[in-house]
Amino acid sequence: MKSMDVPTERAREAFAEDRVRGSSADRLNRLVDLETQRCLEELASADRDTISQHIGALDREWDVERYLQTNAAIASLAGVALGAAVNRRFLLLPGVVFGFFLQHAIQGWCPPLPLFRRMGIRTRREINREKYALKVLRGDFETIGPLAGREQPR
Amino acid sequence: MHATLHAPGPDRVRANTWPPINERVDRGIQLRLRQAAAWHTPDELSDQIAALDMEWDFERVVEAEASLAGLLGLVLGATVDRRFLAVPAIVAVMLLVHASQGWYPLLPIFRRLGVRTRHEIDRERFGVKAIRGDFTTVPPAGAAATERAAAAWKAVCA
Repeated sequence: MKSMDVPTERAREAFAEDRVRGSSADRLNRLVDLETQRCLEELASADRDTISQHIGALDREWDVERYLQTNAAIASLAGVALGAAVNRRFLLLPGVVFGFFLQHAIQGWCPPLPLFRRMGIRTRREINREKYALKVLRGDFETIGPLAGREQPR
Repeated sequence: MHATLHAPGPDRVRANTWPPINERVDRGIQLRLRQAAAWHTPDELSDQIAALDMEWDFERVVEAEASLAGLLGLVLGATVDRRFLAVPAIVAVMLLVHASQGWYPLLPIFRRLGVRTRHEIDRERFGVKAIRGDFTTVPPAGAAATERAAAAWKAVCA
């Protein structure tokens, strides 16, 4: 188990470019990491079909961008409708939503993000990390030769 | 070329892209992996991974474009003519269509400009990691499950 504890620190570095992770509490990122580690331990001795099924489920999993897009679209649509039909001041709502959504695209954070992260919703990078670790366990990369034979395209 | 090669699972953006453009993306990945395997040193492979991590993926491009278009429409709707409010409304509906179906009005343009999905970027990323030898540390099937799991986790995080 001791070797499982180390990489969380490294995971944070390696995924420094994941802006959503960079904008989430370390505690929540760690929960995501632990969940992936738990899943890998569970599936490390599983047969190919079980692993393939889990990879299929990962491909279908809704990532945090999909939730945020849905959320922003519904909130801004409601704001525009209210602003056009009821009172112009409701136009502030889509203004704020689009403003924060732009911030999310550029920097990563936006107001609903902490809530979604607390619900355990993952970034595509986090999902793919689990997916490719499972592909490794399934033996997908065993056919690739060592770096030494670099004349042969692999 | 088999169809399965170009349809890796439920990437909704790829499913809504004109197939020749997906093929172009795939050929680019294959070419860069071939170059990486043939010529690159481990340091160069690490630089390639760092560059992939920085790459703007399709979702990020759509989100930036949609929020800018929405804000512009709101400002024009509030100051010039109320009818401009149709712009943020259309943007919101299209974002909803994108989130549920994957399609987006500007998808053909973004894809033609070479904007890739995170699925595609990660395919290249983990291919480069495989070439760097990151996965050779993982014991083969049959070894202790805990060890294999720990090694696989370390390898994907490296």
